[in-house]
Amino acid sequence: MNTTRYRDVILHRSLIAAAVASILLTTACTTAAVKPDGAAQARVRLTQLQSDPNLASRAPVEIKDADAAVRAAEQPELNKELAEHRVYMADRKVDTAKALAETRFAEDQRVVLTAQRDRARLDARTQEADAAKGQAATARAEGAEQKAAAEQARIDASTAQQAAASSEQQATELQRQIDVLQAKPTDRGLVLTLGDVLFTTGRADLKPGATDNLNKLVAFLDKYPDRSIAVQGYTDSVGSEDYNQGLSERRADSVKSYLTGQGIGSTRITASGKGRSDPVADNDSAAGRQQNRRVEVIISNQPTALR
Amino acid sequence: MNAPPQPNRGSCLRMALGFTGALLLTACASTPPAPTANLQAAQQAIAAAERGEAARYAPGELSEARTQLVLADSAVTERKMVLAEHFADQSRAEAELAAAKTSAAKANSVNDEMKRSNGTLAEEMKRVSGDKP
Repeated sequence: MNTTRYRDVILHRSLIAAAVASILLTTACTTAAVKPDGAAQARVRLTQLQSDPNLASRAPVEIKDADAAVRAAEQPELNKELAEHRVYMADRKVDTAKALAETRFAEDQRVVLTAQRDRARLDARTQEADAAKGQAATARAEGAEQKAAAEQARIDASTAQQAAASSEQQATELQRQIDVLQAKPTDRGLVLTLGDVLFTTGRADLKPGATDNLNKLVAFLDKYPDRSIAVQGYTDSVGSEDYNQGLSERRADSVKSYLTGQGIGSTRITASGKGRSDPVADNDSAAGRQQNRRVEVIISNQPTALR
Repeated sequence: MNAPPQPNRGSCLRMALGFTGALLLTACASTPPAPTANLQAAQQAIAAAERGEAARYAPGELSEARTQLVLADSAVTERKMVLAEHFADQSRAEAELAAAKTSAAKANSVNDEMKRSNGTLAEEMKRVSGDKP
């Protein structure tokens, strides 16, 4: 009986001890269930995503899912495996929401980029068109300019040709006239020497049949009315100086009066006597003296302004 | 005095045994079925990520998703169905992350190409206009 009773007491005590132990154990486990590791990090990354103005609004559903997953991970959990599972899921949900938000942001950015590209292309085309237009205008202007220049050149060439032809013709004609007169070009101008055959010795009047040369001179002066002449009489050394001077002057005057009689204006003719000065040959011989007795007609090179 | 406690103790023991047996039976009977739906969802998510070229843009995540799926299958074999479900869900979440990262990488690469092209165009224009003062 005592033994039985003792056993009962033992049984009761051990039951109480077990109960206390189990209570203690339970309490211990409850205090050990803190927030799982990694949940805080997931929360930080989720908060970053939610505060990013470019991303937060672009994946609202996924962010809500991630938020729920993070909240689940933050629950104190005794079961270590379950706690880790929840943290794992929270991590992935946050990352997935972020990646999707980034995708949509990039897609939205594309609208801006496309607009930029279109604008750049338009600018490029406008620039090309402007450049082409400018080139065309320049080419056109150059073309017109060149055409005008060519036209002018042709006109100039033609004019020059005409002028050349004309002046050549004139020169040819003048030369022909000069040849007819048998005039010699000198520094003083064209000099036409009329021999003493015009005059009888000691006389100043022209021989009747000796006007052929003078008529050629008249024809020349008719043709070139802007030319004037100087008529100069010369003698040989026979006789006094005064006599010769007077004779040379009278002979020059005689030629002048013949020319004016043929219609040549007297203002175009100056007559002078040079006496026995400037002999062209030796006065010792008869032939030399004959050459010195002469009348020279000097035709001015430059046309006088008598028109 | 001696007689009553004897049958009392015996019945206690039988009750305890019966309770334990019931608990065991309950445990066996409540073993959850394989998380077939979760496993299928994980497989589909991996296949989708593979179709989106995740192997190129997010190879790490894709590989991790496959590993999680293998772990889930192993857990099913070991009849650890709760664990299997967790692994399956983790595999799916990882595969979805791989797909999301892939699409983000693709989108960014398209944008980078556009930016580069725009930059080239602008540069070219600047050069053309520079040639003609």
